[in-house]
Amino acid sequence: MFKARTVSFTLDQARLTSWRASVHGCLILVRSPGESNLTEKRFAVRIPCCEDGADEKQTQTTTKFLAELAPESEAERVSADAAKSTDEVSMVGDDGVSISGIWKSFTNRNENTSAIEDVNLRIRRGQFVTLIGPSGCGKSTLLRIVAGLLKPDRGSVSIFGETVSHATQSKHIGFVPQTPALLPWRTVLENVQLPLQVNKRYGGGDRRPSAPRELLKSFELGDVLDRRPQDLSRGMQQRVAIARAFVFDPMILLMDEPFSALDEFTREAQRRGLLELWQSDQKTVLFVTHSVTEAVELSDVIVVMSPQPGRVQAMIPVDLPRPRDNFVENSESFHMVEVEVRRELRRTSSQLE
Amino acid sequence: MMNNPADNWQDERVSARANRLRGLKMQIWIPPIVGFGLIILAWQLYAVHNPYIIPTVPQIVDQYRTQPGLYWHDTLVTLQEAVVGASCGMAGAFLLAILMSRVRVLERALMPLAVVLNVTPMVAIAPGLVVAFGFGFTPKYIIAGMIVFFPFLINSLIGLRSPDPEVLDVFTTLHASWWEVLWHLELPTSLPYLFAAARICLPLSLIGAVVAEFSAAGQTTGLGSLIETAANQADLKAVYASVVVLALLGVGVTFVVVLFQRRLLSWHHSSRSRSQ
Repeated sequence: MFKARTVSFTLDQARLTSWRASVHGCLILVRSPGESNLTEKRFAVRIPCCEDGADEKQTQTTTKFLAELAPESEAERVSADAAKSTDEVSMVGDDGVSISGIWKSFTNRNENTSAIEDVNLRIRRGQFVTLIGPSGCGKSTLLRIVAGLLKPDRGSVSIFGETVSHATQSKHIGFVPQTPALLPWRTVLENVQLPLQVNKRYGGGDRRPSAPRELLKSFELGDVLDRRPQDLSRGMQQRVAIARAFVFDPMILLMDEPFSALDEFTREAQRRGLLELWQSDQKTVLFVTHSVTEAVELSDVIVVMSPQPGRVQAMIPVDLPRPRDNFVENSESFHMVEVEVRRELRRTSSQLE
Repeated sequence: MMNNPADNWQDERVSARANRLRGLKMQIWIPPIVGFGLIILAWQLYAVHNPYIIPTVPQIVDQYRTQPGLYWHDTLVTLQEAVVGASCGMAGAFLLAILMSRVRVLERALMPLAVVLNVTPMVAIAPGLVVAFGFGFTPKYIIAGMIVFFPFLINSLIGLRSPDPEVLDVFTTLHASWWEVLWHLELPTSLPYLFAAARICLPLSLIGAVVAEFSAAGQTTGLGSLIETAANQADLKAVYASVVVLALLGVGVTFVVVLFQRRLLSWHHSSRSRSQ
């Protein structure tokens, strides 16, 4: 039994017997410790120039995918570590987003309900981190705290070394809410121009605000610049909302289930679009979702949260190759990560019972 | 030269569309015209047999022919009173609504006062204002302004509070100033409410102006004064001629509001046909 994990793994733990690669993937034969039989695994990986004998690259790739073949015992140990200290797993320097010791409760009709208890999280610059969990696990609350829309009762958030209020003042945060939240009296182009028109004191300096027209063209919305949002499909509206968050070049994008109202086909297209965009300029992203597949397809790290009160249940690194196309999505490694996320989610609900 | 068949086909489509549009316009205009025609006819029939209750239609029309200057002048006076009063009242109500939407304490302090103002009959206040401010325009502006104040205040408040919370979130994360939120979000969002209010308020302000003129009848000009004076002299023809002008004025101001509404609210679903 093998599990997809990212651990530092040396070649002698699982001996490479032979491997061969094609443009469609890599077939690796390994002998794992304690098992005498050869195990055959097919992996979703594209190895450039493998046939031309690019030795160094081959070795690197092989090592990486052998790492995925860590025996379960090893994986369990890492998983347990992850639950204990989230900080160690993501290994973040100072220039990431750090969420430390956040507590938040809401008072409703004299009843105090704790929404989040002691959540610690570090996000590296350029990382795509997804928050997933059942309803009421505080993932949206956590996102709103990072966005500065809610104040935590205790704890602090630092966004690239700045406080949240300073980060919003300097327009470092791009927020994409659940609905497109566009202004119906403005055209598509004018909607995307909005962030450049408010709080004008910031947004200059080292920033590279995109030209709204060009940005919309890259979002495949070049033909509808002068249309009003209500004349567009829901998927297109959501793309406009994402373009609006990209246009002023924020340091971090916070997305609160932006695709949840879309049908499955549109969702998939939107995910791919977002990934392409993210890959071109590697913004730091904190993304809230309900969908396991969405989380695995998009993220570098999946943070599973447990409800009542909201806590970090597990942090699951997703070390799948990018771009995550159909091939990756149908690979065994992808499904293994999905299975793990689902298992953690089941654990959160079993804790409730 | 032969015509391109495709062109013909296009032409046919265009003319079919024009025909359909013409048909649609007929559908819109014919029912009200027929309705009005029937009412005028009934009026005329009744008036001929009851000359001491209402004047006949030709008698009313005759009024405008014999004294065009009088009606024209009084109409302009009343219209001016109503429009100036309503504009001041609506502007004041809107500014107060902005303050109230930002400072809850202010709303709690002033809303009961506004309610009292609203439930007090303007007809009762008017004579006192005439005594205080004389026969000039001031009391008329005040009455017209007061009568529109409350409906406009309530609608403005609802409008200013109607932005979608998620859009507000976007503005908050951009650290938009209160002025930017007002200008880019709250004001456009409240426009449908403001127009709905204006459609009620402008005709209301005509009532305010006429009521104020009643209280100073004989000492002042305007259609209200004209009606009061004519009624005292049992001049039914002049009374109804003025009433017809007032009704037309009401239709006119409503029409102007609708015109602006169509212009400024083209984005709003209230201005869109269902097929869009």
